[in-house]
Amino acid sequence: MALVEVKNLVKRYTPTGPNAVDDVSCEIQQGEIFSLLGPNGAGKTTVISMISTLLTPTGGSVTVAGYDVQREPLAVRERIGVVPQDLALYNDLTAAENLRFWGEMRGLGGATLRDEIEEKLALMDLSDRAKDRVKTFSGGMKRRLNLAVGLLGNPQLVMLDEPTVAIDPQSRRYILDYVKQMNQKGATVLYTTHYMEEAQELSHRIGIIDHGKLIALGTLAELTQLVGEHETLILKLHQSDGGVALAEALGALEGVYQASAGDGEVVLNVVSAQAALPPALAQAEKLGLSVRTVDIREPNLETVFLHLTGRALRD
Amino acid sequence: MKKLWTLASKEVLLAFRNVGMIVTMLVTPLVLTLAIGAAFSGGSAELADIPVLWLNLDEGVMAEMLLEVFDSPEVGELVALEIVEDETAARARVDANAVAALVIIPPDFSARAFPQGVAIQQQLGLDLTTLTDEKAMETLTPEQQQAIGMIFATTPQTTTEPAIIEIYASPDWRISTSVVRSIITQGIEIMNIQAKGITNVMTQMAMLQLAQSGEAPTTMLPGDMGAVAEPDIGALPVRVQTLSPTGRGFSWFDYTATGMAVLFLMFAVTSGGRTLLAEREWGTLPRLLVAPTPAITVLVGKMAGIVLTGMLQLLVLWGATSLVGAYWGDPLGVLLASLCLVLCASGVGALISAWSKSAGQAGALGTAITLVGAALSGTFFPRFNLPLWVQRLSLVLPQAWGIEIFSRLQLGRGLADILPWLGGVLLLTALYYGAALVGFRRQFE
Repeated sequence: MALVEVKNLVKRYTPTGPNAVDDVSCEIQQGEIFSLLGPNGAGKTTVISMISTLLTPTGGSVTVAGYDVQREPLAVRERIGVVPQDLALYNDLTAAENLRFWGEMRGLGGATLRDEIEEKLALMDLSDRAKDRVKTFSGGMKRRLNLAVGLLGNPQLVMLDEPTVAIDPQSRRYILDYVKQMNQKGATVLYTTHYMEEAQELSHRIGIIDHGKLIALGTLAELTQLVGEHETLILKLHQSDGGVALAEALGALEGVYQASAGDGEVVLNVVSAQAALPPALAQAEKLGLSVRTVDIREPNLETVFLHLTGRALRD
Repeated sequence: MKKLWTLASKEVLLAFRNVGMIVTMLVTPLVLTLAIGAAFSGGSAELADIPVLWLNLDEGVMAEMLLEVFDSPEVGELVALEIVEDETAARARVDANAVAALVIIPPDFSARAFPQGVAIQQQLGLDLTTLTDEKAMETLTPEQQQAIGMIFATTPQTTTEPAIIEIYASPDWRISTSVVRSIITQGIEIMNIQAKGITNVMTQMAMLQLAQSGEAPTTMLPGDMGAVAEPDIGALPVRVQTLSPTGRGFSWFDYTATGMAVLFLMFAVTSGGRTLLAEREWGTLPRLLVAPTPAITVLVGKMAGIVLTGMLQLLVLWGATSLVGAYWGDPLGVLLASLCLVLCASGVGALISAWSKSAGQAGALGTAITLVGAALSGTFFPRFNLPLWVQRLSLVLPQAWGIEIFSRLQLGRGLADILPWLGGVLLLTALYYGAALVGFRRQFE
């Protein structure tokens, strides 16, 4: 059963400007983790903002648990929890005071709220810092508290907008594990990220978004099938530049489906890595470049994105 | 309602946890009140019983007329006058700051101030102060009346050099000295009026005498008799504005206490208003707007918090300044006035916040409006000394209303007297919030 239904969603910030979200349609099933994967500026946050009633759609419709976001915004807000990309906490309040304030804004109170505050602090490993002001927290601790606030009241749908940006590995692990844990308890999750690994690890289904358009949608297996039997060959160079010239040269070789360069490496989408490797090394030598490492990968979301857009996800 | 309280109490908590805000709201106005009050009131908390010495060297009777001004009940409360005869000792007491000032009436004061009157006194032995109307003149013998006519015809009405009254003042008693100077100026004006009255009566008598003797009166009369016959009473200085009928006098310390409180209320409340923009920058505003709480509740809750913070600020300042001797007025009046003023000031904060693009812009605008408003409203100097047009213009701002209302309360007026003023403040508040709502609607959409 679909908890969220998005139909032909469009958002334009100015009447004559481009569509930030362009005719997006999808459904998020009850109990699933649905990831929106795309580079920065693809339109992920705009989609979440419209589903959470913060932005008014220019066109199309969104319902959450059957409630229309434009006609019944309060009913929608009672069923959702939002973890924004930017920290949304009061630095001069303590962790417990922040949780109490946001809990009361969700209509919680009394013993229920008290228990929830204790539970969330324990889950985020912040119990011993409950009475400390947020301004004394590390970035990772703030991220965890930011997540805890979004989960107050155990909402039916939790929307997390790039919750792991710029945090330490330990806090990132906490957040990913907790997302899985709350999903196991029945919460539906809409997760946006530009980290392919996170989408692969967490998601039941993934929507790939680029330039405001939803260009692919399905399970990981369904998406990788889009690429076919291709493999990914990654050549890391000793030189930081020169990758672009090598990618251009290798793109013309037989059996090379796509080639891109960046960060001192060249990524090739090839029919057979074994067949493509010798001519690739020869071409590098010809251009005066030396290859430091060679990596051969099975198709993944990076490959899918490259296949669909001709660009690497990080571009 | 519970969410409104949650939002409001959060605002108060954030304001009172911010050291910068505490300094702005409470510490600075308290320190400034004490410093300005001490600097301008000569160490005295209230202008009353200003110690003044009076040295009369005048050989005529005019100085006695001038001295009468100190006999009025209002001035009597304000000034503790002591008559002295030893000039050197008196000057030494001023030098030692033991008294505010020494007033020295020069020996030729009467002769220079009213030469015709002095001539009549010297030649005919008449007490001029009793001859201020025609009835009094009728008691004179025909010979005396004729002699007076001749004196007026032959004695100049004015002297080339004016009489100089010296006020030898202590620099540490600046405000008190200004008060003494203003009293003496008023005394001179009263004396001038009396002198003109005498001149008028005498002139009419001289004209009568000369007419009876067959001489043309116009050639004998000095000056413009039409002007002296109708003394301009309206030209008298109106000094009563510093003294209330209730007996409470103007106190610079009291005035400063409320003036500073209103000024820093404006700083705090305009700063509070911009927290709505700051919430957007902190990322908490979007989170508030996706909580199951209507946007209007969020807005009202935030403004309620700002009003609550402002009220707490005024109450603390009222209590603290009262402990060091400041008088704010009738408690009920002060409470109501404070509430109305905080509402009005929060309206200014809301208006600035609604039409600014960022917290920084709102902060700069709030500071500018607060400081310009303070200057126009009379925060740093007595409001009643400002030109009338400035006093009227400044009523577009809460500070001016605050100073007007608190001044009335401090002079002993009650709640009934300030009700029309409170109505004015609430009307202004409605206008501010109306304009702010238009801006907020534009921002939220």
